[in-house]
Amino acid sequence: MAVRKSAGRLDNLSEERFDKKVKRKKKIKNTRQFVRISFATMFAACFAVLFLMPIVLTLTNSFMSASEISANYGQVFATSDTGGKVYISERVNLKFIPDMVSFSQYATVLLKSPEYLLKFWNSVILVVPIVGFQILVAMGASYGFTRYRGRIKEMIFFLYIILMLMPYQVTLVPNYLVSDWLHILDTNWAIWLPGIFSPFAVFLLTKYMRRIPVSVMEAAQIDGAGEWQIFRKICMPLCKGAMCSIAILIFIDYWNMVEQPLILLSDAEKHPLSVFLSKINAGEIGLAFAVATIYMVPPILVFLYGEDYLVEGITYQGGIKG
Amino acid sequence: MRLFKGRRDKPAGKSRKTNSNRRDRRGKQISVLYLLPSVIGVLLFFVLPFFIVIYYSVIDDPINAEFVFFDNFVMVFHNAAFQQAAKNTMIFSAAAVPLAVVLSLLLAMMLESKIPFKSQFRTFFLSPMMVPIASVVLIWQVLFHYNGMMNEVLGWFGRDKVDWLNSAYAQVVIVVLFLWKNLGYNMILFMAALSSIPKDILEVAVLESATPVQIFWHIKLRYMSSTILFVTIMSLINSFKVFREIYLLKGDYPYDTMYMLQHFMNNTFGKLDYQKMSAAAIMMAVVMVVLIGILFLTENYFGKDVEG
Amino acid sequence: MKNDKNRRKTATAFIALFLAMIMLAGCGKGKDDKEEESSKKEFVYVPEYHQIDFGISSENMNISQTVASGDYMYMQVNAWNEESGSENGIFRYNMVEGTLDEIPLELGENDWPGQICVTPEGDVAVIISRTSYELDENGEPINYSSSLELRVISSKDGSVKNSQDITGIFGEEDPYIQYLSMDGKGNYYLYGGDQTIFVISQELQKIAEIKTGDWINGMVASKEGDIYVNIYGEKGPELRKVDLASKSIGESLEGLGGGYGNAEYYTGVSKSIMFSGEKVALYDIASKTQEDIFSWLDVDVNSNYIRGAGELSDGRIWAVYQDYETENSKPELLTVKKEKADNVTPKEEITYGTMALDWDVKRMIIDFNKSNEKYRIVVKEYGTEDYQTGRTQFNADLTTKNCPDLVELSALNYTQYASKGIFEDLYPYMDQSGLKKEDFLENVLKAYEVDGKLYAVVPGFYVTTTMAKQSMVGDITGWTLAEMLDFVEKNDPENIFDGGARESIFYYFIYNNIDEFIDWETGKCFFDGEDFIRTLEFAAKFPSYEEMNMDYSEREGIYSRLKANKILLMQSSISSVQQFQMMMGMFGEKVSFVGYPNNERKGNLIQSTGGCIGLSAKSKNKEGAWEFLSGLWSKEYQESKYSDWGFPVMKSALEKKFKEDMTPEYYEDENGEQIEQSKTSWGYDDFNMEIYAATQEEIDQVRALLESAEKISGNVDEQLTNIITEESAAFFKGQKSAADTANVIQNRIQIYVNENQ
Repeated sequence: MAVRKSAGRLDNLSEERFDKKVKRKKKIKNTRQFVRISFATMFAACFAVLFLMPIVLTLTNSFMSASEISANYGQVFATSDTGGKVYISERVNLKFIPDMVSFSQYATVLLKSPEYLLKFWNSVILVVPIVGFQILVAMGASYGFTRYRGRIKEMIFFLYIILMLMPYQVTLVPNYLVSDWLHILDTNWAIWLPGIFSPFAVFLLTKYMRRIPVSVMEAAQIDGAGEWQIFRKICMPLCKGAMCSIAILIFIDYWNMVEQPLILLSDAEKHPLSVFLSKINAGEIGLAFAVATIYMVPPILVFLYGEDYLVEGITYQGGIKG
Repeated sequence: MRLFKGRRDKPAGKSRKTNSNRRDRRGKQISVLYLLPSVIGVLLFFVLPFFIVIYYSVIDDPINAEFVFFDNFVMVFHNAAFQQAAKNTMIFSAAAVPLAVVLSLLLAMMLESKIPFKSQFRTFFLSPMMVPIASVVLIWQVLFHYNGMMNEVLGWFGRDKVDWLNSAYAQVVIVVLFLWKNLGYNMILFMAALSSIPKDILEVAVLESATPVQIFWHIKLRYMSSTILFVTIMSLINSFKVFREIYLLKGDYPYDTMYMLQHFMNNTFGKLDYQKMSAAAIMMAVVMVVLIGILFLTENYFGKDVEG
Repeated sequence: MKNDKNRRKTATAFIALFLAMIMLAGCGKGKDDKEEESSKKEFVYVPEYHQIDFGISSENMNISQTVASGDYMYMQVNAWNEESGSENGIFRYNMVEGTLDEIPLELGENDWPGQICVTPEGDVAVIISRTSYELDENGEPINYSSSLELRVISSKDGSVKNSQDITGIFGEEDPYIQYLSMDGKGNYYLYGGDQTIFVISQELQKIAEIKTGDWINGMVASKEGDIYVNIYGEKGPELRKVDLASKSIGESLEGLGGGYGNAEYYTGVSKSIMFSGEKVALYDIASKTQEDIFSWLDVDVNSNYIRGAGELSDGRIWAVYQDYETENSKPELLTVKKEKADNVTPKEEITYGTMALDWDVKRMIIDFNKSNEKYRIVVKEYGTEDYQTGRTQFNADLTTKNCPDLVELSALNYTQYASKGIFEDLYPYMDQSGLKKEDFLENVLKAYEVDGKLYAVVPGFYVTTTMAKQSMVGDITGWTLAEMLDFVEKNDPENIFDGGARESIFYYFIYNNIDEFIDWETGKCFFDGEDFIRTLEFAAKFPSYEEMNMDYSEREGIYSRLKANKILLMQSSISSVQQFQMMMGMFGEKVSFVGYPNNERKGNLIQSTGGCIGLSAKSKNKEGAWEFLSGLWSKEYQESKYSDWGFPVMKSALEKKFKEDMTPEYYEDENGEQIEQSKTSWGYDDFNMEIYAATQEEIDQVRALLESAEKISGNVDEQLTNIITEESAAFFKGQKSAADTANVIQNRIQIYVNENQ
């Protein structure tokens, strides 16, 4: 408890009374803090419940038998003959607890019809290369943006940001045409290539890399290091956290993509699971929840695995001094 | 209140006299080399398509390409559906994005204040990002359908049923959906930002009898300005993605308060009407460029003295 | 941070475990489902036709069954001619050498040979059904009884090797054997049509009865000697094994695909089973893989005319081919062999895209391919698998360079596509080919015009209309929605149409009449106006779909209800003069063809038959494509009996058809007098009528009806009807008011209209 030089009441009191006053203040502060904390906790807990509800619902519903699900939700998913929606005329309730726990959904999905697993693999096959290579390309690009900044580069960077913001409809049709011209339509390349070169990772990684003090890089340069060594020995290790977090973000983004495979891959066999899930109709809702659960597992696992990196990584994205 | 500046390195990019100009130039070239793969890819898959879109927007017909320059833009601009869509999209973004930013900031501040189970809460709040859209749509339909649960709750309070999805309330529903999905992500960002404001500055401020409001406004905000910009941009990007949920809920032609620009573009795409779609896309792009430009300038102004 | 490290480790472990699990479950079965497309471009399949001279002089000869064994094909041939009546014979044809022998079969007067099958030794087993009767005092036959005999004869000389009366095996009165097969052990499998297979040993003693559990469409023996039944399962035709030991039917074979349409299975020679439908494929049971060989369309063969097929030992595929739609056609043997593509001169390919290939167009295409030296039409069907995906694909292709040269639009909204500028205006082409507009029905041509240009060739058409008694509605040819509502409300019958639930009545009112509520020029919609709400409320007076009594047996017949004015209107399509005559007969009095309600009072709608085909503007083979199209409008094609369904568009052909409809047919009775006989008989619900030659008056009425139609049916964008159906459902369930529903519909459709301005 250092004594500070400042105007105030404390100066005139003796040390004991000073101590007591401080203690009392601390107690009040503590209780107030306690109340505040518990209130905040409860509030957060409420929110957490709201946020968690869909996951819990999907999980518990995946243990229902198919007939129970149809009975409960059948009308919501039904489609009419011409592809329109069917009116939900009765009340539908969200069921959390199955009447009868049954593994039939999982049994069908995992053992009997391999189509869903195929689609799962399609998802994996489509997403993993994008994640890996986008980061690779982005590493190079952000290094290029970080070193030797010039006006032109800043303009290009700005262009990247603009392109990043375009909603997919703008680029989807031209992407179709470009893919056609390159003869990669209907192959996975039509999805991989635009994904690998997406400016998203470049943007994030560049922002992060620019936080590295230039003095460090300059010191290495003076010591005789070439660009490649600076890249490998300085930038890369420092960016590990950011790379992980970016990887997670990209993964989740592309794991959920629906429109691109629909348009660019005409062969329904190659469609990823996300497309399939968004097209569930009355015939298949029985399995929908099990499939949805399986669908959710990779992002959850990826997230759990990299959560710390994620937080660490986005700490620096905010632009706080590193 | 002036902050004292800590040790800080000189910002990069300013001219600096070195003795190795040649090495500099070579370094420059090499750095461009590093940049090259990405730039080529971006040119091919993003810039080129964008130019194709521009091309489509200035011609008459995909078959006989006659240049009509601005005719398409004028036509689309006067199109009532486009106006409706643009209005809705703007209202939505104007409402949803600030809400997302502010609410998540508040939530983050609340969570930062030493509550238990912090990391568990973190996981929970991020969970909406993982849920597949089909489950989300199912739940939303069950809740907000004319015969759904919300109306039942209203019934307990003796009020009439509201057709949530087919009325002006639809926008409320969509905003809630958007917030639910994105609050978690934004909040994590803010939590991280909050936890890395240098503690010594905060302590100094407390000792100098600064009120919490002052602390917040002058210190925290300044340090987080870059994060706030980032979160705003991300929220803006995500606010466009909400189209998918609306589409799955109500199809191609929802009630007019839910009709977004992407609906317009999607439908005109489906009808092979590329001119309209391209013109709309370009206009949307222009607006966004302006918007982002403004945001950048604001951020530069705000955070200038905090960092380079 | 130890915690995080641990957490990370567990998470990694989970991921690895999860992936491993999925991999095991998925990889094992996933890949086998895919068919292997053998797209051998180095090889082409070439057909060869061989005439078979059966030595039977007859006009009507047909092969009722073919069975192959080795290189021999055994055929059951039936022929009928005036003098000798019906003749039957079993012939054996060596397909490699081309020799034909008849196997003598001793038949009594009332014996009728049925199914045959061939033993491995080369003997023929034939089921002979015998009817016997006694004559009573007047010489009239009474007391019919039938018996069945299974006779095995040698194929060399027809000598009987074994014979057994098998009537007693079946527990029923008049047994009929539908399918006969033989397994590798010499047992006979007989299927009588009542979901039971009877197994008879080689010594002709019954050894088992096996229940199939479902109707079967065929039985086939695999190369390995097991018997499989063809059952129509959930996903289409399936083959399931018949297990003699356990007397049951097994699981369906995996990996069989593409078996829609008229698919048949045959015993394979190189692999287990051969399959012939639209394409030919070989299936191997052990590896569960199917190898597609070729499609019949590629070799210019109409798969509809194939009676039997199989493999030859030299790798060729054979089939018995008879174009039964042409008169006096004789069956031929067709072999298809594989040739190096270099040996065959390639022709220019013209692609023909359609959702589903029309029967008549298929014939035209095959004829064109056979006769045209320069061009070849290749068909691409989009709707074979999932219809919706096919349609999206079709749409996508239309906009890119994958657009087929010829586009068939009958399944899609013609006007919407035609106004996109993707098709060529056909009027100049017509002028060049000497086809004059005046030769065709103007109203039909005009209906398919957009901005004065014609974008499709429509070979034939029919008219959909609504009919009412003239005494009730007056002599009118059309009415507006308001007028129709007035009429119906005034008369308030039990039901306006047969089977009218509120949803379908509403649909009827609105379906072809959307234009009344939308002014496409100004973009204003009127769904919240009086007429629409009135229609909603009117339709709600009827029972909803669920409430309707769907039990047809208890309901009064349509005919009697019409007569009693319990039904006011009949919706129907008129596709032939005979159908028209039947409708008139059913009403029993003068009929007004009022059509669908329409604000221009032009409610009779045109529907194309035989295709609605446009020529893509991006096509590189426009001349060739037009060659084919103009063939559809040639005098020969239009005047030929290319289709029994619909009217030709060419005026002279239409008149010719009318003339035929007016020509009576006669037969001679015992006294040699010419008695007019009916051309055909038509029935509808509880009404049956023999149709005779039409009168001039009737023809004139039909002509007037055909010429009154000015619009195409099915021209409403599905999205509009979807919106209306979705939202009106709320009203029909009684949960929303009409005004609210109308408002929502107005709102949503307004967006649609605005978009398209």
